[in-house]
Amino acid sequence: MNRRTTYLRVGQLGFGAVSLGVILFAWWQVTANGIVSEFLLPAPAAVFEAAQRLSAGYLGSSLTAHLVASLSVVLSGYIAAVLIGVPLGILMAWSRPVDIAMGPLVAILRPIPPPAWIPLAILWFGIDLPGKTFIVFVSSITPCLINAYVAIKEVPANLINAARMLGAGNASLLFRVAIPAGLPMIANGLRIALGSAWATVVAAELVVATAGFGFVIMSGYRNIESDIMAAGMIAVAVTGFIMNLLFREVEKRVIPWAEHE
Amino acid sequence: MERAGVGIIEADLVMDAGPCERDIRSAARGNGIRFQNVSMSFGGNRGGHPTLAVDDFSLEVAENEFLVIVGPSGCGKSTLLAMAGGLTQPTTGRLSLGDEPIVKPGPDKAIVFQTFSLFPWMTVIDNIEFGMRLNGVSPAERQRRIDYYLPIIGLKGFEDHYPKQLSGGMQQRVAIARCLVLRPRLLLMDEPFAALDAQNRTVMQEELVRVWSAHRPTVIFVTHSVEEAVFLADRIVVMTRRPGRIKDVIDVRDTTGAQHWRAAPLDQVMRRSDFQDLRGRVWDLIRDEIVIE
Repeated sequence: MNRRTTYLRVGQLGFGAVSLGVILFAWWQVTANGIVSEFLLPAPAAVFEAAQRLSAGYLGSSLTAHLVASLSVVLSGYIAAVLIGVPLGILMAWSRPVDIAMGPLVAILRPIPPPAWIPLAILWFGIDLPGKTFIVFVSSITPCLINAYVAIKEVPANLINAARMLGAGNASLLFRVAIPAGLPMIANGLRIALGSAWATVVAAELVVATAGFGFVIMSGYRNIESDIMAAGMIAVAVTGFIMNLLFREVEKRVIPWAEHE
Repeated sequence: MERAGVGIIEADLVMDAGPCERDIRSAARGNGIRFQNVSMSFGGNRGGHPTLAVDDFSLEVAENEFLVIVGPSGCGKSTLLAMAGGLTQPTTGRLSLGDEPIVKPGPDKAIVFQTFSLFPWMTVIDNIEFGMRLNGVSPAERQRRIDYYLPIIGLKGFEDHYPKQLSGGMQQRVAIARCLVLRPRLLLMDEPFAALDAQNRTVMQEELVRVWSAHRPTVIFVTHSVEEAVFLADRIVVMTRRPGRIKDVIDVRDTTGAQHWRAAPLDQVMRRSDFQDLRGRVWDLIRDEIVIE
Protein backbone atom coordinates (compact mmCIF):
# COMPACT_ATOMS: atom_id res chain seq x y z
CA MET A 1 0.00 0.00 0.00
CA ASN A 2 1.55 3.34 -0.97
CA ARG A 3 1.29 6.58 0.97
CA ARG A 4 -1.46 8.04 -1.10
CA THR A 5 -3.82 5.10 -0.54
CA THR A 6 -2.87 5.08 3.15
CA TYR A 7 -3.99 8.72 3.44
CA LEU A 8 -7.13 7.85 1.55
CA ARG A 9 -7.97 5.00 3.91
CA VAL A 10 -7.32 7.07 7.02
CA GLY A 11 -9.52 9.80 5.55
CA GLN A 12 -12.32 7.35 4.83
CA LEU A 13 -12.13 5.91 8.34
CA GLY A 14 -12.22 9.45 9.74
CA PHE A 15 -15.38 10.32 7.83
CA GLY A 16 -16.96 7.03 8.92
CA ALA A 17 -16.14 7.78 12.56
CA VAL A 18 -17.63 11.26 12.26
CA SER A 19 -20.95 10.05 10.85
CA LEU A 20 -21.16 7.30 13.49
CA GLY A 21 -20.35 9.87 16.20
CA VAL A 22 -23.06 12.23 14.96
CA ILE A 23 -25.69 9.46 15.09
CA LEU A 24 -24.61 8.39 18.60
CA PHE A 25 -24.69 12.00 19.79
CA ALA A 26 -28.17 12.54 18.32
CA TRP A 27 -29.36 9.30 19.92
CA TRP A 28 -28.00 10.39 23.29
CA GLN A 29 -29.53 13.88 23.01
CA VAL A 30 -32.94 12.62 21.93
CA THR A 31 -33.17 10.20 24.86
CA ALA A 32 -31.55 12.47 27.49
CA ASN A 33 -33.95 15.35 26.77
CA GLY A 34 -37.01 13.11 26.79
CA ILE A 35 -37.90 13.92 23.17
CA VAL A 36 -38.54 10.21 22.64
CA SER A 37 -39.69 8.05 25.52
CA GLU A 38 -37.35 5.46 27.07
CA PHE A 39 -40.02 2.89 26.29
CA LEU A 40 -39.59 3.35 22.53
CA LEU A 41 -35.90 4.21 22.37
CA PRO A 42 -33.60 3.23 25.22
CA ALA A 43 -30.73 5.55 26.07
CA PRO A 44 -27.22 4.51 24.99
CA ALA A 45 -26.30 3.99 28.64
CA ALA A 46 -29.31 1.69 29.14
CA VAL A 47 -28.33 -0.36 26.11
CA PHE A 48 -24.80 -0.59 27.43
CA GLU A 49 -26.19 -1.84 30.75
CA ALA A 50 -28.41 -4.35 28.95
CA ALA A 51 -25.38 -5.58 27.03
CA GLN A 52 -23.63 -6.16 30.33
CA ARG A 53 -26.69 -8.04 31.61
CA LEU A 54 -26.63 -10.13 28.44
CA SER A 55 -22.98 -11.04 28.75
CA ALA A 56 -23.48 -12.00 32.36
CA GLY A 57 -26.22 -14.38 31.27
CA TYR A 58 -29.76 -13.74 30.11
CA LEU A 59 -32.73 -16.10 30.40
CA GLY A 60 -30.69 -19.12 31.32
CA SER A 61 -27.86 -18.68 28.82
CA SER A 62 -24.66 -16.68 28.84
CA LEU A 63 -23.81 -14.44 25.89
CA THR A 64 -21.47 -17.13 24.63
CA ALA A 65 -24.23 -19.73 24.86
CA HIS A 66 -26.59 -17.51 22.82
CA LEU A 67 -23.81 -16.94 20.29
CA VAL A 68 -23.06 -20.66 20.09
CA ALA A 69 -26.77 -21.42 19.70
CA SER A 70 -27.10 -19.07 16.74
CA LEU A 71 -23.73 -19.93 15.17
CA SER A 72 -24.21 -23.69 15.33
CA VAL A 73 -27.46 -23.35 13.39
CA VAL A 74 -25.85 -21.01 10.87
CA LEU A 75 -22.80 -23.16 10.29
CA SER A 76 -24.62 -26.49 9.95
CA GLY A 77 -27.17 -25.05 7.52
CA TYR A 78 -24.58 -23.01 5.65
CA ILE A 79 -22.07 -25.82 5.24
CA ALA A 80 -24.79 -28.16 3.95
CA ALA A 81 -25.88 -25.44 1.49
CA VAL A 82 -22.31 -24.94 0.24
CA LEU A 83 -21.66 -28.67 -0.10
CA ILE A 84 -24.83 -29.20 -2.12
CA GLY A 85 -25.37 -25.81 -3.81
CA VAL A 86 -21.93 -25.23 -5.29
CA PRO A 87 -21.48 -28.67 -6.91
CA LEU A 88 -25.07 -28.61 -8.16
CA GLY A 89 -24.61 -25.15 -9.67
CA ILE A 90 -21.38 -26.22 -11.35
CA LEU A 91 -22.96 -29.40 -12.65
CA MET A 92 -25.99 -27.55 -14.02
CA ALA A 93 -23.73 -25.08 -15.81
CA TRP A 94 -21.50 -27.79 -17.23
CA SER A 95 -24.03 -30.44 -18.23
CA ARG A 96 -27.03 -29.62 -20.34
CA PRO A 97 -29.10 -32.63 -19.19
CA VAL A 98 -28.62 -31.69 -15.53
CA ASP A 99 -29.53 -28.09 -16.37
CA ILE A 100 -32.71 -29.20 -18.12
CA ALA A 101 -33.64 -31.57 -15.27
CA MET A 102 -32.94 -29.21 -12.38
CA GLY A 103 -33.51 -25.78 -13.95
CA PRO A 104 -37.32 -25.60 -13.57
CA LEU A 105 -37.17 -26.81 -9.96
CA VAL A 106 -34.63 -24.14 -9.07
CA ALA A 107 -36.61 -21.49 -10.95
CA ILE A 108 -39.76 -22.28 -8.96
CA LEU A 109 -38.14 -22.58 -5.53
CA ARG A 110 -35.82 -19.59 -5.84
CA PRO A 111 -38.37 -16.76 -5.54
CA ILE A 112 -39.73 -18.08 -2.21
CA PRO A 113 -38.27 -15.83 0.51
CA PRO A 114 -36.48 -18.00 3.11
CA PRO A 115 -38.65 -16.87 6.09
CA ALA A 116 -41.69 -18.25 4.26
CA TRP A 117 -40.21 -21.69 4.86
CA ILE A 118 -40.19 -21.27 8.65
CA PRO A 119 -43.64 -22.72 9.44
CA LEU A 120 -43.20 -25.69 7.12
CA ALA A 121 -39.68 -26.34 8.42
CA ILE A 122 -40.96 -26.42 12.00
CA LEU A 123 -43.74 -28.76 10.96
CA TRP A 124 -41.25 -31.07 9.26
CA PHE A 125 -38.23 -30.91 11.54
CA GLY A 126 -39.45 -29.46 14.86
CA ILE A 127 -38.32 -26.36 16.70
CA ASP A 128 -34.84 -27.56 17.57
CA LEU A 129 -31.62 -27.46 15.58
CA PRO A 130 -32.84 -29.46 12.54
CA GLY A 131 -35.78 -27.16 11.78
CA LYS A 132 -33.76 -23.96 11.90
CA THR A 133 -30.84 -25.60 10.12
CA PHE A 134 -33.18 -26.42 7.27
CA ILE A 135 -34.32 -22.80 6.99
CA VAL A 136 -30.73 -21.57 6.97
CA PHE A 137 -29.94 -24.20 4.36
CA VAL A 138 -32.79 -23.03 2.14
CA SER A 139 -31.76 -19.39 2.43
CA SER A 140 -28.07 -19.92 1.72
CA ILE A 141 -28.23 -22.54 -1.00
CA THR A 142 -29.65 -20.08 -3.53
CA PRO A 143 -26.67 -17.70 -3.71
CA CYS A 144 -24.28 -20.68 -3.62
CA LEU A 145 -26.03 -22.36 -6.53
CA ILE A 146 -26.75 -19.29 -8.64
CA ASN A 147 -23.24 -17.88 -8.36
CA ALA A 148 -21.60 -21.24 -9.08
CA TYR A 149 -23.86 -21.62 -12.11
CA VAL A 150 -23.16 -18.17 -13.50
CA ALA A 151 -19.43 -18.44 -12.66
CA ILE A 152 -19.05 -21.56 -14.78
CA LYS A 153 -21.34 -20.32 -17.57
CA GLU A 154 -19.34 -17.12 -17.87
CA VAL A 155 -15.84 -18.56 -17.97
CA PRO A 156 -14.32 -16.58 -20.86
CA ALA A 157 -14.34 -18.54 -24.12
CA ASN A 158 -10.72 -17.60 -24.77
CA LEU A 159 -9.60 -19.41 -21.60
CA ILE A 160 -11.51 -22.52 -22.63
CA ASN A 161 -10.06 -22.31 -26.14
CA ALA A 162 -6.55 -21.79 -24.76
CA ALA A 163 -6.91 -24.86 -22.53
CA ARG A 164 -8.29 -26.98 -25.37
CA MET A 165 -5.38 -25.88 -27.53
CA LEU A 166 -2.95 -26.91 -24.79
CA GLY A 167 -4.52 -30.36 -24.79
CA ALA A 168 -7.08 -30.25 -21.98
CA GLY A 169 -9.77 -32.93 -22.07
CA ASN A 170 -13.25 -32.52 -20.65
CA ALA A 171 -12.31 -33.31 -17.04
CA SER A 172 -9.28 -31.01 -17.10
CA LEU A 173 -11.38 -28.26 -18.66
CA LEU A 174 -13.84 -28.45 -15.78
CA PHE A 175 -11.57 -29.04 -12.81
CA ARG A 176 -8.41 -27.26 -13.85
CA VAL A 177 -9.81 -24.38 -15.87
CA ALA A 178 -13.54 -23.64 -15.45
CA ILE A 179 -13.72 -24.07 -11.67
CA PRO A 180 -10.55 -22.10 -10.85
CA ALA A 181 -11.64 -19.40 -13.31
CA GLY A 182 -15.04 -19.21 -11.62
CA LEU A 183 -13.68 -19.25 -8.08
CA PRO A 184 -13.89 -15.48 -7.42
CA MET A 185 -17.55 -15.43 -8.37
CA ILE A 186 -18.24 -18.63 -6.43
CA ALA A 187 -16.57 -17.08 -3.38
CA ASN A 188 -18.78 -14.02 -3.84
CA GLY A 189 -21.80 -16.29 -3.70
CA LEU A 190 -20.50 -17.98 -0.54
CA ARG A 191 -20.12 -14.59 1.13
CA ILE A 192 -23.63 -13.49 0.16
CA ALA A 193 -24.93 -16.87 1.38
CA LEU A 194 -23.24 -16.41 4.74
CA GLY A 195 -24.94 -13.04 5.22
CA SER A 196 -28.24 -14.54 4.15
CA ALA A 197 -27.77 -17.47 6.55
CA TRP A 198 -27.11 -15.10 9.44
CA ALA A 199 -30.15 -12.97 8.66
CA THR A 200 -32.32 -16.06 8.37
CA VAL A 201 -31.28 -17.68 11.65
CA VAL A 202 -32.19 -14.51 13.52
CA ALA A 203 -35.57 -14.48 11.78
CA ALA A 204 -36.14 -18.13 12.66
CA GLU A 205 -35.17 -17.52 16.29
CA LEU A 206 -37.64 -14.65 16.47
CA VAL A 207 -40.38 -17.13 15.71
CA VAL A 208 -39.32 -20.12 17.74
CA ALA A 209 -36.26 -20.68 19.91
CA THR A 210 -35.02 -21.18 23.45
CA ALA A 211 -31.63 -19.56 22.91
CA GLY A 212 -29.81 -17.44 20.35
CA PHE A 213 -29.70 -13.74 19.51
CA GLY A 214 -33.09 -13.77 17.79
CA PHE A 215 -34.53 -15.33 20.94
CA VAL A 216 -32.88 -12.55 23.03
CA ILE A 217 -34.43 -9.84 20.86
CA MET A 218 -37.85 -11.48 20.97
CA SER A 219 -37.62 -11.96 24.76
CA GLY A 220 -36.83 -8.28 25.09
CA TYR A 221 -40.01 -7.59 23.13
CA ARG A 222 -42.13 -9.94 25.27
CA ASN A 223 -40.80 -8.43 28.52
CA ILE A 224 -41.09 -4.89 27.16
CA GLU A 225 -37.36 -4.29 27.54
CA SER A 226 -36.32 -2.22 24.56
CA ASP A 227 -32.76 -1.96 25.87
CA ILE A 228 -32.40 -5.77 25.64
CA MET A 229 -33.85 -5.67 22.11
CA ALA A 230 -31.29 -3.06 21.08
CA ALA A 231 -28.42 -4.92 22.76
CA GLY A 232 -29.46 -8.14 20.99
CA MET A 233 -29.53 -6.30 17.65
CA ILE A 234 -26.08 -4.89 18.26
CA ALA A 235 -24.81 -8.39 19.07
CA VAL A 236 -26.29 -9.60 15.76
CA ALA A 237 -24.64 -6.73 13.89
CA VAL A 238 -21.21 -7.21 15.47
CA THR A 239 -21.23 -10.96 14.86
CA GLY A 240 -22.31 -10.51 11.24
CA PHE A 241 -19.66 -7.86 10.72
CA ILE A 242 -16.92 -10.10 12.11
CA MET A 243 -18.07 -13.08 10.05
CA ASN A 244 -17.90 -10.99 6.89
CA LEU A 245 -14.45 -9.68 7.82
CA LEU A 246 -13.14 -13.19 8.48
CA PHE A 247 -14.60 -14.39 5.21
CA ARG A 248 -12.85 -11.65 3.25
CA GLU A 249 -9.54 -12.47 4.92
CA VAL A 250 -9.85 -16.16 4.04
CA GLU A 251 -10.88 -15.17 0.50
CA LYS A 252 -7.76 -13.05 0.03
CA ARG A 253 -5.56 -15.94 1.10
CA VAL A 254 -7.32 -18.65 -0.89
CA ILE A 255 -7.74 -16.59 -4.09
CA PRO A 256 -4.67 -14.34 -4.06
CA TRP A 257 -4.75 -13.81 -7.81
CA ALA A 258 -8.24 -12.25 -7.97
CA GLU A 259 -9.05 -8.56 -7.77
CA HIS A 260 -10.15 -7.77 -4.23
CA GLU A 261 -11.83 -4.56 -3.16
CA MET B 1 8.56 -42.46 -35.92
CA GLU B 2 11.98 -41.12 -36.81
CA ARG B 3 13.05 -37.64 -35.81
CA ALA B 4 14.19 -36.41 -39.17
CA GLY B 5 14.69 -32.69 -39.43
CA VAL B 6 15.06 -32.10 -35.70
CA GLY B 7 17.43 -29.20 -35.06
CA ILE B 8 20.49 -29.34 -32.85
CA ILE B 9 19.00 -27.49 -29.90
CA GLU B 10 15.81 -29.41 -30.17
CA ALA B 11 17.51 -32.82 -30.31
CA ASP B 12 19.25 -31.83 -27.13
CA LEU B 13 16.00 -30.87 -25.47
CA VAL B 14 13.92 -33.89 -26.40
CA MET B 15 16.43 -36.39 -25.08
CA ASP B 16 14.49 -37.61 -22.08
CA ALA B 17 11.07 -36.51 -23.15
CA GLY B 18 7.90 -38.00 -21.69
CA PRO B 19 5.62 -40.39 -23.56
CA CYS B 20 3.67 -37.62 -25.25
CA GLU B 21 6.74 -36.23 -26.90
CA ARG B 22 6.50 -38.96 -29.48
CA ASP B 23 2.84 -38.24 -30.12
CA ILE B 24 3.32 -34.55 -30.62
CA ARG B 25 6.25 -35.06 -32.96
CA SER B 26 4.85 -38.14 -34.65
CA ALA B 27 4.71 -36.48 -38.05
CA ALA B 28 7.87 -34.47 -37.65
CA ARG B 29 8.41 -34.66 -41.37
CA GLY B 30 5.07 -33.42 -42.56
CA ASN B 31 4.41 -30.21 -40.69
CA GLY B 32 3.03 -28.37 -43.65
CA ILE B 33 -0.60 -27.28 -43.58
CA ARG B 34 -3.03 -27.48 -46.46
CA PHE B 35 -6.28 -25.57 -46.91
CA GLN B 36 -8.43 -27.25 -49.56
CA ASN B 37 -11.36 -25.19 -50.88
CA VAL B 38 -12.16 -24.00 -47.39
CA SER B 39 -15.31 -21.91 -46.92
CA MET B 40 -16.93 -20.69 -43.75
CA SER B 41 -20.31 -19.09 -43.25
CA PHE B 42 -21.87 -17.88 -40.03
CA GLY B 43 -25.43 -17.55 -38.84
CA GLY B 44 -28.45 -18.20 -41.00
CA ASN B 45 -29.80 -20.77 -38.56
CA ARG B 46 -32.64 -18.48 -37.48
CA GLY B 47 -34.04 -17.80 -40.89
CA GLY B 48 -31.63 -14.97 -41.71
CA HIS B 49 -29.11 -15.14 -44.53
CA PRO B 50 -25.85 -16.78 -43.56
CA THR B 51 -22.80 -14.55 -43.87
CA LEU B 52 -19.99 -15.96 -45.96
CA ALA B 53 -16.78 -15.12 -44.07
CA VAL B 54 -14.26 -17.17 -46.04
CA ASP B 55 -14.85 -18.20 -49.63
CA ASP B 56 -13.05 -21.10 -51.31
CA PHE B 57 -9.67 -20.59 -49.70
CA SER B 58 -6.98 -22.96 -50.96
CA LEU B 59 -3.36 -22.73 -49.89
CA GLU B 60 -0.44 -24.87 -48.93
CA VAL B 61 1.95 -23.69 -46.27
CA ALA B 62 5.29 -25.47 -46.34
CA GLU B 63 6.93 -26.98 -43.31
CA ASN B 64 9.01 -24.39 -41.42
CA GLU B 65 7.42 -21.58 -43.40
CA PHE B 66 6.48 -18.28 -41.78
CA LEU B 67 3.22 -17.29 -43.45
CA VAL B 68 1.53 -14.00 -42.69
CA ILE B 69 -2.08 -13.26 -43.59
CA VAL B 70 -3.10 -9.62 -43.96
CA GLY B 71 -6.35 -8.08 -45.05
CA PRO B 72 -9.03 -5.59 -44.10
CA SER B 73 -11.18 -6.05 -41.00
CA GLY B 74 -13.72 -8.82 -41.38
CA CYS B 75 -11.87 -10.61 -44.19
CA GLY B 76 -11.93 -13.86 -42.24
CA LYS B 77 -8.25 -14.01 -41.28
CA SER B 78 -8.96 -14.91 -37.66
CA THR B 79 -11.51 -17.47 -38.83
CA LEU B 80 -8.85 -19.12 -40.97
CA LEU B 81 -6.58 -19.29 -37.95
CA ALA B 82 -9.29 -20.76 -35.72
CA MET B 83 -9.92 -23.43 -38.34
CA ALA B 84 -6.20 -24.21 -38.63
CA GLY B 85 -6.12 -24.59 -34.85
CA GLY B 86 -9.09 -26.96 -34.93
CA LEU B 87 -11.20 -24.63 -32.77
CA THR B 88 -13.83 -24.37 -35.50
CA GLN B 89 -14.63 -26.52 -38.49
CA PRO B 90 -15.09 -25.10 -41.99
CA THR B 91 -18.56 -25.18 -43.51
CA THR B 92 -17.09 -26.81 -46.60
CA GLY B 93 -13.59 -27.85 -47.61
CA ARG B 94 -10.83 -29.57 -45.69
CA LEU B 95 -7.73 -28.70 -43.69
CA SER B 96 -4.86 -31.00 -42.97
CA LEU B 97 -1.62 -30.81 -41.06
CA GLY B 98 0.90 -33.17 -42.56
CA ASP B 99 -1.19 -36.19 -43.57
CA GLU B 100 -3.80 -35.77 -40.84
CA PRO B 101 -7.04 -33.87 -41.17
CA ILE B 102 -7.49 -31.09 -38.59
CA VAL B 103 -10.55 -32.00 -36.56
CA LYS B 104 -9.87 -30.74 -33.04
CA PRO B 105 -7.53 -28.43 -31.16
CA GLY B 106 -4.42 -29.84 -29.55
CA PRO B 107 -0.87 -29.13 -28.44
CA ASP B 108 0.56 -29.83 -31.89
CA LYS B 109 -1.31 -26.75 -33.13
CA ALA B 110 -0.42 -24.08 -30.60
CA ILE B 111 -2.24 -20.75 -30.69
CA VAL B 112 -1.18 -17.35 -29.42
CA PHE B 113 -4.29 -15.25 -28.96
CA GLN B 114 -4.62 -11.49 -29.33
CA THR B 115 -6.07 -11.31 -25.81
CA PHE B 116 -3.16 -13.10 -24.15
CA SER B 117 -5.57 -15.60 -22.53
CA LEU B 118 -3.27 -16.60 -19.70
CA PHE B 119 -4.84 -18.36 -16.73
CA PRO B 120 -5.10 -15.65 -14.08
CA TRP B 121 -4.93 -18.09 -11.16
CA MET B 122 -1.64 -19.56 -12.32
CA THR B 123 1.78 -18.02 -11.85
CA VAL B 124 4.10 -17.50 -14.80
CA ILE B 125 5.69 -20.90 -14.22
CA ASP B 126 2.35 -22.67 -13.82
CA ASN B 127 1.02 -21.08 -16.99
CA ILE B 128 4.04 -22.24 -18.98
CA GLU B 129 3.97 -25.68 -17.38
CA PHE B 130 0.23 -26.31 -17.69
CA GLY B 131 0.24 -27.62 -21.26
CA MET B 132 3.21 -29.88 -20.56
CA ARG B 133 1.46 -31.31 -17.49
CA LEU B 134 -1.68 -31.97 -19.52
CA ASN B 135 0.40 -33.89 -22.02
CA GLY B 136 2.33 -35.98 -19.53
CA VAL B 137 5.76 -34.43 -20.07
CA SER B 138 8.03 -35.70 -17.30
CA PRO B 139 8.91 -33.28 -14.47
CA ALA B 140 12.60 -33.32 -15.38
CA GLU B 141 11.84 -32.51 -18.99
CA ARG B 142 9.38 -29.80 -17.96
CA GLN B 143 12.08 -28.20 -15.87
CA ARG B 144 14.58 -28.35 -18.74
CA ARG B 145 12.26 -26.63 -21.15
CA ILE B 146 11.34 -23.97 -18.61
CA ASP B 147 15.00 -23.33 -17.88
CA TYR B 148 15.57 -23.00 -21.60
CA TYR B 149 12.71 -20.60 -22.39
CA LEU B 150 12.45 -18.47 -19.28
CA PRO B 151 15.64 -16.49 -19.96
CA ILE B 152 14.81 -16.30 -23.67
CA ILE B 153 11.50 -14.58 -22.97
CA GLY B 154 13.17 -12.36 -20.38
CA LEU B 155 11.02 -13.44 -17.46
CA LYS B 156 13.64 -14.87 -15.16
CA GLY B 157 12.86 -13.56 -11.68
CA PHE B 158 9.13 -13.35 -12.49
CA GLU B 159 8.43 -17.08 -12.06
CA ASP B 160 5.96 -16.63 -9.22
CA HIS B 161 4.19 -13.54 -10.52
CA TYR B 162 0.55 -13.71 -11.50
CA PRO B 163 -0.45 -12.46 -14.96
CA LYS B 164 -2.15 -9.37 -13.51
CA GLN B 165 1.22 -8.31 -12.10
CA LEU B 166 2.84 -8.31 -15.57
CA SER B 167 2.81 -5.79 -18.40
CA GLY B 168 1.02 -6.64 -21.64
CA GLY B 169 4.30 -7.42 -23.38
CA MET B 170 5.41 -9.76 -20.61
CA GLN B 171 2.03 -11.53 -20.61
CA GLN B 172 2.25 -12.13 -24.33
CA ARG B 173 5.78 -13.51 -23.94
CA VAL B 174 4.45 -15.99 -21.39
CA ALA B 175 1.67 -16.91 -23.82
CA ILE B 176 4.25 -17.53 -26.55
CA ALA B 177 6.45 -19.55 -24.20
CA ARG B 178 3.61 -21.81 -23.09
CA CYS B 179 3.12 -22.66 -26.77
CA LEU B 180 6.79 -23.16 -27.63
CA VAL B 181 7.47 -25.51 -24.70
CA LEU B 182 4.98 -27.90 -26.29
CA ARG B 183 7.18 -28.14 -29.41
CA PRO B 184 4.17 -27.54 -31.65
CA ARG B 185 4.23 -28.58 -35.28
CA LEU B 186 2.24 -25.50 -36.09
CA LEU B 187 2.31 -22.13 -34.35
CA LEU B 188 -0.74 -19.96 -34.98
CA MET B 189 -0.63 -16.31 -33.99
CA ASP B 190 -3.76 -14.18 -34.08
CA GLU B 191 -2.69 -10.52 -34.07
CA PRO B 192 -0.49 -11.33 -31.09
CA PHE B 193 1.03 -7.88 -30.76
CA ALA B 194 -2.03 -5.76 -31.57
CA ALA B 195 -2.64 -4.95 -27.90
CA LEU B 196 0.94 -3.72 -27.34
CA ASP B 197 2.31 -0.22 -27.76
CA ALA B 198 4.60 0.58 -30.70
CA GLN B 199 7.92 0.13 -28.87
CA ASN B 200 6.92 -3.14 -27.24
CA ARG B 201 5.61 -4.33 -30.53
CA THR B 202 8.92 -3.80 -32.29
CA VAL B 203 10.85 -5.56 -29.54
CA MET B 204 8.41 -8.46 -29.57
CA GLN B 205 8.65 -8.86 -33.35
CA GLU B 206 12.42 -9.12 -33.12
CA GLU B 207 12.25 -11.52 -30.18
CA LEU B 208 9.72 -13.68 -31.97
CA VAL B 209 12.13 -14.05 -34.88
CA ARG B 210 14.90 -15.04 -32.49
CA VAL B 211 12.83 -17.60 -30.58
CA TRP B 212 11.18 -18.97 -33.70
CA SER B 213 14.49 -19.40 -35.54
CA ALA B 214 15.71 -21.93 -32.98
CA HIS B 215 13.04 -24.53 -33.87
CA ARG B 216 11.17 -23.12 -36.82
CA PRO B 217 7.70 -24.56 -36.39
CA THR B 218 5.39 -23.76 -39.28
CA VAL B 219 3.82 -20.39 -38.51
CA ILE B 220 0.61 -18.75 -39.61
CA PHE B 221 0.55 -15.22 -38.34
CA VAL B 222 -2.45 -12.92 -38.75
CA THR B 223 -2.01 -9.16 -38.55
CA HIS B 224 -3.40 -5.79 -39.53
CA SER B 225 0.06 -4.32 -39.81
CA VAL B 226 1.61 -4.33 -43.28
CA GLU B 227 5.01 -3.45 -41.84
CA GLU B 228 4.86 -6.41 -39.46
CA ALA B 229 3.88 -8.70 -42.33
CA VAL B 230 6.67 -7.57 -44.62
CA PHE B 231 9.27 -7.80 -41.85
CA LEU B 232 8.33 -11.28 -40.58
CA ALA B 233 6.91 -13.24 -43.48
CA ASP B 234 8.36 -15.74 -45.87
CA ARG B 235 5.15 -15.31 -47.81
CA ILE B 236 2.31 -12.85 -47.37
CA VAL B 237 -1.28 -13.74 -48.21
CA VAL B 238 -3.37 -10.66 -48.94
CA MET B 239 -7.09 -11.24 -48.44
CA THR B 240 -10.00 -9.50 -50.12
CA ARG B 241 -12.76 -7.92 -48.06
CA ARG B 242 -15.62 -10.17 -46.99
CA PRO B 243 -16.20 -12.78 -48.18
CA GLY B 244 -12.48 -13.41 -47.72
CA ARG B 245 -10.68 -14.78 -50.75
CA ILE B 246 -7.00 -14.83 -51.60
CA LYS B 247 -6.24 -11.64 -53.47
CA ASP B 248 -2.53 -12.18 -53.89
CA VAL B 249 0.33 -14.19 -52.46
CA ILE B 250 3.65 -12.37 -52.24
CA ASP B 251 6.88 -14.23 -51.67
CA VAL B 252 9.06 -11.94 -49.58
CA ARG B 253 12.04 -14.21 -50.22
CA ASP B 254 11.98 -13.10 -53.86
CA THR B 255 13.04 -9.71 -52.56
CA THR B 256 15.27 -10.66 -49.66
CA GLY B 257 17.02 -13.63 -51.24
CA ALA B 258 18.27 -16.45 -49.03
CA GLN B 259 19.34 -14.07 -46.28
CA HIS B 260 15.99 -12.93 -44.87
CA TRP B 261 15.95 -9.40 -43.47
CA ARG B 262 14.05 -10.36 -40.33
CA ALA B 263 17.38 -11.48 -38.83
CA ALA B 264 18.35 -7.79 -38.61
CA PRO B 265 16.80 -5.19 -36.29
CA LEU B 266 13.56 -3.70 -37.60
CA ASP B 267 14.75 -0.07 -37.64
CA GLN B 268 17.65 -1.04 -39.91
CA VAL B 269 15.43 -3.05 -42.20
CA MET B 270 12.96 -0.21 -42.46
CA ARG B 271 15.62 2.00 -44.01
CA ARG B 272 16.03 -0.39 -46.92
CA SER B 273 14.39 0.83 -50.09
CA ASP B 274 13.39 -2.69 -51.17
CA PHE B 275 11.60 -3.11 -47.82
CA GLN B 276 9.72 0.13 -48.37
CA ASP B 277 8.86 -0.81 -51.95
CA LEU B 278 7.41 -4.13 -50.88
CA ARG B 279 5.54 -2.47 -48.04
CA GLY B 280 4.02 -0.04 -50.54
CA ARG B 281 3.05 -2.86 -52.86
CA VAL B 282 1.26 -4.81 -50.12
CA TRP B 283 -0.41 -1.69 -48.81
CA ASP B 284 -1.75 -0.83 -52.29
CA LEU B 285 -3.28 -4.29 -52.50
CA ILE B 286 -5.04 -3.87 -49.16
CA ARG B 287 -6.12 -0.28 -49.74
CA ASP B 288 -8.38 -1.38 -52.62
CA GLU B 289 -10.19 -3.70 -50.23
CA ILE B 290 -10.92 -1.21 -47.49
CA VAL B 291 -14.44 0.13 -47.60
CA ILE B 292 -15.35 3.12 -45.49
CA GLU B 293 -18.59 2.25 -43.75
